[in-house]
Amino acid sequence: MTIHYPRGGVAQPGTTLGFKTGTWRVQRPLHLHASAPCHSGCPAGEDPQAYLAKVDEGHMHAAWEALVAANPLPAITGRVCPHPCESACNRSQFDAAVSIHSVERYLGDQAISQDWPYPVTRPHAGAPRVAVVGAGPSGLSAAYHLMRHGLNVTVFTALPEAGGTLHAIPGYRLPTEVLRAEVERLLATGMDFRPNRRLGRDVHVHELRNEFAAVYIAVGTQESKEWSIGGAVPQDLHEGLGILKEWMSIGTVPISNSAAVVGGGNTAIDTARVLLRAGVPEVHLITHNGLPGPETLPEDAMVANPGEIEQAIEEGVQVHAHRGIRRLILRGERVVGVEMLHMKKMRNTQGELERVAFEGTESVLHVEQVIPAIGQVINSAGLETLLSGRPFLEVDHWGQVKGRRGVFAGGDACASKRGTVASAIGDGRRAAEAIARYIQDKAQPEPSAAPGIDFAQLNINYYEHAPAAQPRLLPVVERKGEEEIELGLNSGEIAHEAQRCFSCGNCLACDNCWTLCPDSAVLKTKEVARDGSHYVFDYDFCKGCGLCANECPCGYIIMQEEP
Amino acid sequence: MTDKTDSKDIDIARLREHQPRFQGITSGHRACLGCGEALAARLVTEAAGPDVAIANATGCLEIFTTPWPESSWRVPWMHSLFENTGAIAAGMEAAFKMQGKSTKVLAFAGDGGTFDIGFQALSGMIERGHNVLYVCFDNEAYMNTGIQRSSSTPHAAMTTTSPPGKARMGKRHLKKDIISIVAAHHIPYAATASVAYPSDIRKKVRRAMDIEGPTFLVIHSPCPLGWGHEADISIEVARLAVQTGLMPVIELERGEVTGVMPVREPRPVLDYLRPQGRFRHLFADNPKAREELEHIQALADHNIEVYNLRGEIADRMDSEGADTVRRGGMRWA
Repeated sequence: MTIHYPRGGVAQPGTTLGFKTGTWRVQRPLHLHASAPCHSGCPAGEDPQAYLAKVDEGHMHAAWEALVAANPLPAITGRVCPHPCESACNRSQFDAAVSIHSVERYLGDQAISQDWPYPVTRPHAGAPRVAVVGAGPSGLSAAYHLMRHGLNVTVFTALPEAGGTLHAIPGYRLPTEVLRAEVERLLATGMDFRPNRRLGRDVHVHELRNEFAAVYIAVGTQESKEWSIGGAVPQDLHEGLGILKEWMSIGTVPISNSAAVVGGGNTAIDTARVLLRAGVPEVHLITHNGLPGPETLPEDAMVANPGEIEQAIEEGVQVHAHRGIRRLILRGERVVGVEMLHMKKMRNTQGELERVAFEGTESVLHVEQVIPAIGQVINSAGLETLLSGRPFLEVDHWGQVKGRRGVFAGGDACASKRGTVASAIGDGRRAAEAIARYIQDKAQPEPSAAPGIDFAQLNINYYEHAPAAQPRLLPVVERKGEEEIELGLNSGEIAHEAQRCFSCGNCLACDNCWTLCPDSAVLKTKEVARDGSHYVFDYDFCKGCGLCANECPCGYIIMQEEP
Repeated sequence: MTDKTDSKDIDIARLREHQPRFQGITSGHRACLGCGEALAARLVTEAAGPDVAIANATGCLEIFTTPWPESSWRVPWMHSLFENTGAIAAGMEAAFKMQGKSTKVLAFAGDGGTFDIGFQALSGMIERGHNVLYVCFDNEAYMNTGIQRSSSTPHAAMTTTSPPGKARMGKRHLKKDIISIVAAHHIPYAATASVAYPSDIRKKVRRAMDIEGPTFLVIHSPCPLGWGHEADISIEVARLAVQTGLMPVIELERGEVTGVMPVREPRPVLDYLRPQGRFRHLFADNPKAREELEHIQALADHNIEVYNLRGEIADRMDSEGADTVRRGGMRWA
């Protein structure tokens, strides 16, 4: 018998597949969807990361639908919101934040021009009915989300048309056509809209409570805060919001040769800019707070949108930041000037912020008019029993008015300090969810937040610096009337911004894990992957080295110890 | 927490056979966790495609892919001795030529098999003009036999045969400049690459595959075990080698530099050295250690100067642009 010895070792191709190296593993990779900071930072509850991803894929309609799943008024918020999403954006620690508001506005405008239908089906006639009092951003948002929950909605407003406080925003920031178009499209989804119905006069909470399954109150704040300097008030007092409403409805306002607006919010800035447009040659703005910027504590910065402050200064508004008014200089009852002094918020010995006035810094500003724009408070008519003496409605996380089952509230009517359009919209959305649960007799869950993701969790090597697209602005000399100042971005710039998104906490489908796994233990489920579910870990072979987690640009992969 | 990778309804084994890439090396190989060489070899094989035959020198790659009677390879593959990969590859190429076949021969070897033991066979293969792509997976020591120094081990690195002590701080000598030596053969194409830049590897392999004649590629491939760093940062360490200038990523044609990957913003060498155990002794508080750190920084500065690595303007193909990722797996390179 002859024995044949092979000249060398031979083996069949690919046979190591029989050896499962996954048994070596002490930790395993997992996909973890974390909430991007833009999402966590949006008071309206938008997930910009999700719609930027759709824009990046070129699916504009789907992007808009993802957007209006939270906020039905993107053309409006894209223009007027101070966009806390952008302040939170991780990209701002790399080069500049993604211009999320431009994308939001673009999608809103596209929906209007292409008449994309809202993702709402008309509730059937027998569905429970909910009353919404107030047709501002919060009321409209609640009505829309209630309909998405299959409930019939009746919206009451004291005004002749829907929009509420949005009508006090000048056209150069929010063109009336855009406001009307978006609000009318929303009303057309099938809400029962009842204008000219004032709470406390035409409708009453207790009646609504009997007639409807639940009530949502979003009446906003209509009364100007009382204002005086040491008890002195000018004879001919106009306040900021009143001036804005006059300008918006009749196009003129009482003017003088010089005016000082008092306040640091958007109403103050808008009032000052409207006065300039109306022909006041010299407009000052006096605020306790500082100009937003690295030198000012965030708690001490003016609350107006930084971009709006910048534009107001460009247009000629003279901002006196960190100044307080010590007294009005009156000739008889007529204002001839104010005495200002330096002020600043500083930490006291207990570490609390305290406003400090600096003696010896007094100066006199000669003005003929002083216009307070320091905020509004709720009009208590029809709400007396709910307010019980407080200046705002007290609600829990879900908008349930304390001690009044079935009565919910949101927006500025609930805020102890003035909120934003976006937070009003968010209140409406949360309350709608809660009302749907209330009607079905379900308990309200504890509020929970998805885990966040910060800059340090991203692998920044895989991104390239790219400057943000800057929206074009109307030149200062052309800003005379109501023409919109920020002109938005074009479709190419929108695509650029969407591509700049880091996709924090969500899969970018970049193929990094698939490319870089030394053990080919990451498999791709489609040729062009678009989402995390298109990569799977093959735990038969994954040795648990953690390379994929470390090299994932988006922080979408975490390592977890094997049990 | 949502685990989206619930694979219960996916037939993983079937999916593995339907990946949109050529899989010349399968899973189940015995490479350590986070092995840079396993990744580099897979990327090269993937880019080269199925019409290849490989001569593989003794070394980690040979060992971990072929634990007899198994093999991870799905292309014709042959184990040569440590010292004769160049000669074996040359013979394979000549045989294919005789048969009228156009199958490209690849030679795979580590730095030991290339810089030291197999050097004369490599030199002969290039000198005779064989149509072979020779790829050196450079992990800077004899890792397979237990981390002995090679002529590729960088200056001041600790290995079992270059321990730091009273007399000297790790390896006394410098890393051999293999790319210049190979380029001196008047070779049509020689290049360096890093496992941290897979698109660059792919581009260079395809370039070499198209050339009729000898071509040479060195791929810097971290070894977590031998370099003493965590397995999950192999790519990060490789990237830092490029970003600091210690590993210039360059291309040479007929001995002339024809391409460099610019380093957009060079990082200090400390960033590269700190995570690696083999340089730990350089962070001791003594003048010798400080001198060696300065020495390594000077070597990086020298590379930056000689190869003009400091790009003038942002470049899509520089150390920042070359690994930029895009949605849907698209990259610049």
